[in-house]
Amino acid sequence: MTDETPVLDQSVLDELRDSVGGDQSFIADLAATYLAEGPDHLAAMQAAVSAGDAAAIVRPAHTLKSSSASLGAMRLSHIAREIEFAGRNGETSGLAERVSTAREAWAQTVAAMKESGLA
Amino acid sequence: MTEPVALIVDDSSVNRMLLARHLLSLGISSREAADGRSALEALSAGADEVAVVLLDVEMPEMDGYETLAAIKSDDALRHLPVIMVSGVDELNSVAQCIEMGAADFLTKPFNPVILGARVRAALADKRLRDLEAEHAARQAELLETIERQKTELSRFLSPQIAALVSSPEGEQMLAGHRREATAVFCDLRGFTAFSDSAEPEEVLGLLREYHAMMGTQIIEHGGTLEHFAGDGMMVFFNDPVPQPDHAERAVRMAVAMREHFTDLAAKWAKLGFDLGFGVGIATGYATLGRIGFEGRYDYGMVGAAVIIASRLSSAAAAGQILLSPRTHASVESVIEGEEIGALQLKGFARPIPTVNVRGLVPHSESVPA
Repeated sequence: MTDETPVLDQSVLDELRDSVGGDQSFIADLAATYLAEGPDHLAAMQAAVSAGDAAAIVRPAHTLKSSSASLGAMRLSHIAREIEFAGRNGETSGLAERVSTAREAWAQTVAAMKESGLA
Repeated sequence: MTEPVALIVDDSSVNRMLLARHLLSLGISSREAADGRSALEALSAGADEVAVVLLDVEMPEMDGYETLAAIKSDDALRHLPVIMVSGVDELNSVAQCIEMGAADFLTKPFNPVILGARVRAALADKRLRDLEAEHAARQAELLETIERQKTELSRFLSPQIAALVSSPEGEQMLAGHRREATAVFCDLRGFTAFSDSAEPEEVLGLLREYHAMMGTQIIEHGGTLEHFAGDGMMVFFNDPVPQPDHAERAVRMAVAMREHFTDLAAKWAKLGFDLGFGVGIATGYATLGRIGFEGRYDYGMVGAAVIIASRLSSAAAAGQILLSPRTHASVESVIEGEEIGALQLKGFARPIPTVNVRGLVPHSESVPA
């Protein structure tokens, strides 16, 4: 399912643009904020995996899920959501793999946003 | 009025930015908090300023539920409208938040039109609540003032008049009305001579004792004190509170006053003061209501009965309680009377047959209501 989910959902982006009256510079600011904070969330998730601390992964995963969804980064949002729930359930097995999938999805997201002129 | 400020509580800075942008286009500026704890801190620091809270349901650490519960359990924040913000897959949690007192909810991604409508509704609701609270506070202040004035009034006026002034039907009663009433005049024989020869302190001390005794009897019998001037007093019955037995009440009061006066007079006699007590009572139709002029009004009784009672009081010898024929007719069965003949009273063409009350018929004692 994850692979079928679009990296960047253009319909979400279109809605977002419409909702702010096509204000490109605001969308650019929003994307810049997202791109600046993403690596921090991923790093915090990686640190939680290294420490084997499932609870510590919940917060960065939740925030990344939420921010990604708002900007149409649906694939990363879904992965972050799975990681958040795993963290809530205290599952540590497979968490490292999921975080590396998230990093891949992040790279794809950044590339797609650049392609769309958002970054 | 200051512009409304919204507090946006969301762990995602992207979402906060987006919400702030939507609110700004509605003319609402915003403050931001990344979690529930900092939201509560921001609220306790500047609760007056914030008019609406947009609260994310799912937040790490202190989540939307806990934050909402904290807001709703704080007296200073309880009335602040809280709009829950959630993903579409979290609608069950939203229902619970509404039950907990949340004003409304918004789903992500945000639809600016719906967001605008819900925030505006919440702000209007808040404004209404604020107005209500302001109104209630003003009302309470007003009531307090009225209570204070009532207390003050009751110190200066007869209790019945004080109650009348502050009652809804008061204005109509004060405007004037006619009804049958009984007027009582009483004063001291020998008071003028006494006040001429005694020291002012003695005069005032004696008057205080006399007034205290008289006051107790007036209240006990339900009389309305119209005025007192030195040793003289005028009391009437059957107004403003209707008293079907007004004539009898008046006579019983006068008899009780005379009895108590005997004790006082005995005490004064030892000091060398010879004072007597005389009463005149008359019953008849009269006009009652506000009498006087702007700046100084009294609640008074005007009519022939008042003049007759006054003249009878002047005519009374020490210890006499003189009744007009009409008063006598009402109380005949309860008093032991003594006809003293028809008195020619000043201002009246014909002499008025008068009765002196020697005492009450034994066993006719009734308890004044």
